[in-house]
Amino acid sequence: MSDIKTEAPSRGEMLKRLRETHAVSVERTQVLFRAQKQMQQAICQFIRETPKTVPEIAAEIGKPSHEVLWFVASLKKYGIVVEAGMCGDYPLYQRAKEAQA
Amino acid sequence: MDNLHVDTLVVGGGIAGMQAALDLADQGFQVALVEREPSIGGKMITLSKVFPTLDCCSCITTPKMSAVAHHPNIHLLTYCELQSIEETGSGFHAAIVQKPRYVDARKCTGCRECEYACPVTVPSPFDRGLGAYRAIRVPFSTAVPQKAVLDMENCILCGKCEKECPAGAVDFTQQPEPFEIETTTIIAASGFELTPLNAKKEYGGGKLRNVVDPLMMERFLAPTGPYGRVLRPGDGKEPTSIAYVQCAGSRDQTLGVEYCSRVCCMYAVKQAMLISGALPMADITIYYMDIRTFGKGYEQFYQNAKAMGVEFVRGKVAAIREDGEQNPVIKVELTEEGRIVERTFDLVILSLGMTPAPGSNGTTSTSLSASLGLPLGTDKFIAIPAPNANPCASARPGIFVTGTAMGPMDIVDSIVTASSAASAASAYIREHQKEAVYA
Amino acid sequence: MPEEKKFPETTPASEEVRVGVYTCHCGGNISHVVRCERVTKSLGKLSNVVVARTDPSFCSDTGQAIIEKDIKELGVNRVVIGACAPSLHEQTFRNTVTRAGLNPYLYHHVGLREQDSWVHGDDKDGATEKAIRLMSAGVAKARLLIPLDPIRLGAEKQALVIGGGVAGLRSALDIARQGIRVTLVEKSPFLGGRMAQLESIFPTDEEPRQLLHELIEQAAAYPNITVLTQAEVTAVSGYVGNFNVRVTQRSRGVSDEMAEALAAACTQETPDEFNYGLTRRKVICRPYEGCYPPLPAVDWEHYDGQPIQLNGKSVVLKDEPQVHELTAGAIVLATGFDPYEPRRGEYGYGEIPEVATLPQLIRALSRVPEGEPLTWNGHPVRDVALIHCVGSRELDGVHEPQADGQVNNYCSRVCCTASLHTAVELRQRFPKLNLYELYQDIRTYGRGHEEIYRQAQAKMVRFLRYHGDERPEVAAAPAGDTHPVLVRVKDTLTYGEEIEIPVDLVVLAVGMMPRQIDSLVNMLKVSRGADRFLLEAHPKLRPVEMAVRGIVLAGTAQGPMNIQESLSAASAAAAKVASLLGQGRVELPPFVARVDESKCNGAGACVEACLEEGAIALQTFQENGREVKRAVVTPANCTGCGACVGVCPNRAIDVQAWTLAQYEAMVDAIAMETPAFSEAEK
Repeated sequence: MSDIKTEAPSRGEMLKRLRETHAVSVERTQVLFRAQKQMQQAICQFIRETPKTVPEIAAEIGKPSHEVLWFVASLKKYGIVVEAGMCGDYPLYQRAKEAQA
Repeated sequence: MDNLHVDTLVVGGGIAGMQAALDLADQGFQVALVEREPSIGGKMITLSKVFPTLDCCSCITTPKMSAVAHHPNIHLLTYCELQSIEETGSGFHAAIVQKPRYVDARKCTGCRECEYACPVTVPSPFDRGLGAYRAIRVPFSTAVPQKAVLDMENCILCGKCEKECPAGAVDFTQQPEPFEIETTTIIAASGFELTPLNAKKEYGGGKLRNVVDPLMMERFLAPTGPYGRVLRPGDGKEPTSIAYVQCAGSRDQTLGVEYCSRVCCMYAVKQAMLISGALPMADITIYYMDIRTFGKGYEQFYQNAKAMGVEFVRGKVAAIREDGEQNPVIKVELTEEGRIVERTFDLVILSLGMTPAPGSNGTTSTSLSASLGLPLGTDKFIAIPAPNANPCASARPGIFVTGTAMGPMDIVDSIVTASSAASAASAYIREHQKEAVYA
Repeated sequence: MPEEKKFPETTPASEEVRVGVYTCHCGGNISHVVRCERVTKSLGKLSNVVVARTDPSFCSDTGQAIIEKDIKELGVNRVVIGACAPSLHEQTFRNTVTRAGLNPYLYHHVGLREQDSWVHGDDKDGATEKAIRLMSAGVAKARLLIPLDPIRLGAEKQALVIGGGVAGLRSALDIARQGIRVTLVEKSPFLGGRMAQLESIFPTDEEPRQLLHELIEQAAAYPNITVLTQAEVTAVSGYVGNFNVRVTQRSRGVSDEMAEALAAACTQETPDEFNYGLTRRKVICRPYEGCYPPLPAVDWEHYDGQPIQLNGKSVVLKDEPQVHELTAGAIVLATGFDPYEPRRGEYGYGEIPEVATLPQLIRALSRVPEGEPLTWNGHPVRDVALIHCVGSRELDGVHEPQADGQVNNYCSRVCCTASLHTAVELRQRFPKLNLYELYQDIRTYGRGHEEIYRQAQAKMVRFLRYHGDERPEVAAAPAGDTHPVLVRVKDTLTYGEEIEIPVDLVVLAVGMMPRQIDSLVNMLKVSRGADRFLLEAHPKLRPVEMAVRGIVLAGTAQGPMNIQESLSAASAAAAKVASLLGQGRVELPPFVARVDESKCNGAGACVEACLEEGAIALQTFQENGREVKRAVVTPANCTGCGACVGVCPNRAIDVQAWTLAQYEAMVDAIAMETPAFSEAEK
């Protein structure tokens, strides 16, 4: 380890530095985060009452179906969306009842 | 981080590295296991079931991970990067950096409250990007150690995780911490990566949503996979017709991958069997040039798959395109009939091959071998100068190689070579330390 | 070195039994069929059960942590886990409960995967009911579990390696380098095995006997290694750490001083197996110049006992076998392979002189001087067909079974590359030859092997591809034909065209068969797979260990391998031996017979029924001033088979952790319509 002993910066100082060094990624992620939030809300809104397939959701909210599937999978992982049967070859997804409460 | 003095430094915590570490530790040697990722387990922990036993993969990998974590003679160092090594006369001096988790690993209990609180969703490499996790997370459910890690590149610094953590473990002030390991021997177990999905323009150049790589298919088949069932990633349809294109990333001079990747035939056969179980109505076709099921029990496994109705068609796939409904359309030359046909499928798996594991942060694919000063073979894997005398010895005395760091191989071969490397290393240590005593 | 494991103190008998029951999803293997939640709910109602849980994988670190936590926080003191087979994870969970402070034998494993979900995939309700019954039985047993200690024994720091080929030599050397003494036993008079019969190793083109001799020199010179040639294991008893082995060694038959002279004077001949019968040799001989040991020895199998005339004297050779008794902590089986010997008439073998095996061709080529043309059976060779998969990849119901009624349905993995490697050599040495490779799939999988395939293609070797159920046919050509043999094949590369190739030589790329080691297998009580090769403990996770502890595998005794793979496996075997014996002691599970002295009346039925040597005996004791006989178990020799339990008229013997009382409780639990079970079903 380094032999040079320096005064450890304060926590506030370090957080400030972190914000500075990551300014670009934070800003980029914030844009991404807002878009994600919109998408998640749109999906959850549409399947609140009636279960829908991924292509149905995609058509409704005007997004590519592979993107919708990715969001549905992530919402399902965290318990916000559940599978609710099949429609032909496509599983149906619905907003989880528990998550709504 | 304290500096360490060990008998062996194992670089890479996949199945080969874990087995080598366990074999040495069981003999009483002190081992440091350095893994670049936040969890050990390597590629094996992401798989569904293994051929030819069809054991659930997580059921046979996690106990090894657990054994490594609990072994009194193993120092497990995850999320660490090997920077360089120097010869010291009595062994090696390795410079390592502990990357910041932004979580105090001693305090974190793996409760995941931070993960649930985090608002940013990012693609999970554990699910090959098809599943998601949060910017702060425990990397996967069976990760070892069960400690959260924050991905600063995707963090908005909202502080929700810090607020929710019951253990007060989140720490935004963490910095990379360099430390050093003195060791007598090194075992390189750096593993492999798949040949890129986008390498072949004829096969859609990675742009076709329903043309996937085999590790994606492993995740679809695993109970913890992104969809919890087999769906095609383009639109969530349950596929009823599925094709495998063999040698899609091997035995191909145009890709610079001239060798056979050894595992692709078996994983295709295995996946076909598993799909037949999950989707009994699906029809599965495997396009191949030579089926290479050469391991113990493998030929019988292949014959079983044929008997189950998996269709094996000898054919060269010339091109894959997409129709208007995202269905991949395969153009294939049927070599036994001498004609070219087009056939539409719901889902196509490119049986990609193995290349050496890439370095982190976009460094060259040979970073580990470069930092260890090891020459490579023409196949870019670490060279073994005398394979028929010392099958695990690198060109540098004291450095041994195991698993897919020395070329494509399956799990069982990785385990055998790991024990073999451990044997070679332990003999070296005893002889070397004996010399040191009498010198 | 790690400390000797200390198990927690015995749990007091009066302590309340608190059972934790864990039903594992086994990553879907169980939960896709068995409704684990329902099983858990039902078991939670059984008496003594304080907690019942289910998890995707209890064997994971997180899963194990749940169990540890229950032991520590809920006071669980009996653990029942329903998961995969005990062979896979019983030990994993023993370690888990030990870490939490519980005696490892207060845990019972129920094999829900193999005994339930895998066999009842089509009946979810039935499988769930069965799981509840099996787990209830586990709980019933767990209530009666008592703490046990493993049997701890000293282990000999000595290993026995059987087989002096490349795998055995590598194992012996690597074990010896760990400070463990090794006895290497080789049946033939010379070390080196099959590798010595090769002329060039793919893909490096190294000289095999040169590599072999470097290895032999190291091993033979190593102070810890004793080499016994012309020796066979004739008896084995004991167990891991302490195998007692008898090795019977035949004489070399000729003294070092007289060996060369007697070999020269010897006139009796026999086919030379080193050249696969292509040549003849004397019955006092060595396989090749530079072999080890270097001097000729007598081949007792073929020596007819007639005197040999030397310098006017008659010398009669005598075999005076020597018996060595030794103790070994571990045994390495490196007994190797035999090339598949085709049946008479199989592809014309044995009937048409121009049909040979690939190993025969390799030997024959070594005898053709550089620059001279290749001839066979007195004729110049112009066209050669090499047929792949002879004795390999056979199909049930299509191909004629082997002598034991089975077909060789496995791939021998080395023959493709070996055949192409030979084709490339033939092309280089005899540029005008026409070469045909008749194959199903080319399996040049290894590092550098695909290059040999490409070389063969570039060197104008002609490839013809047949289907496994339509193999090529070989027939003698009609008299006066241009070539002695005709090969017919339906070639799928030309869309199934029937092709007839006139050739001068047909080479059969034969596969590998395990050596005949029946007596060894019986003595060691080890298992073989359906392919007749020795069977590993787990084909994925424990590839060089056998199910019998202390016996490990090296090389082609386990299955077809090339030299590099044999070396790797041999070194891996050495690592396992070093782990096992390095500490100088081993632990055996405590599942052995135990006599209740208060019930034993010395009837002795157990001693007669016992299948092991020295496991149970009657001993005389003083009891209330008179002599009585009581059965006494020697735990190290007992395998826990239970033969004694069944015959005891007084129910005085039990196998620990598998007692009659426990069995009865289990049977009752399985058979009874328990209230908990009925409720769950409602």
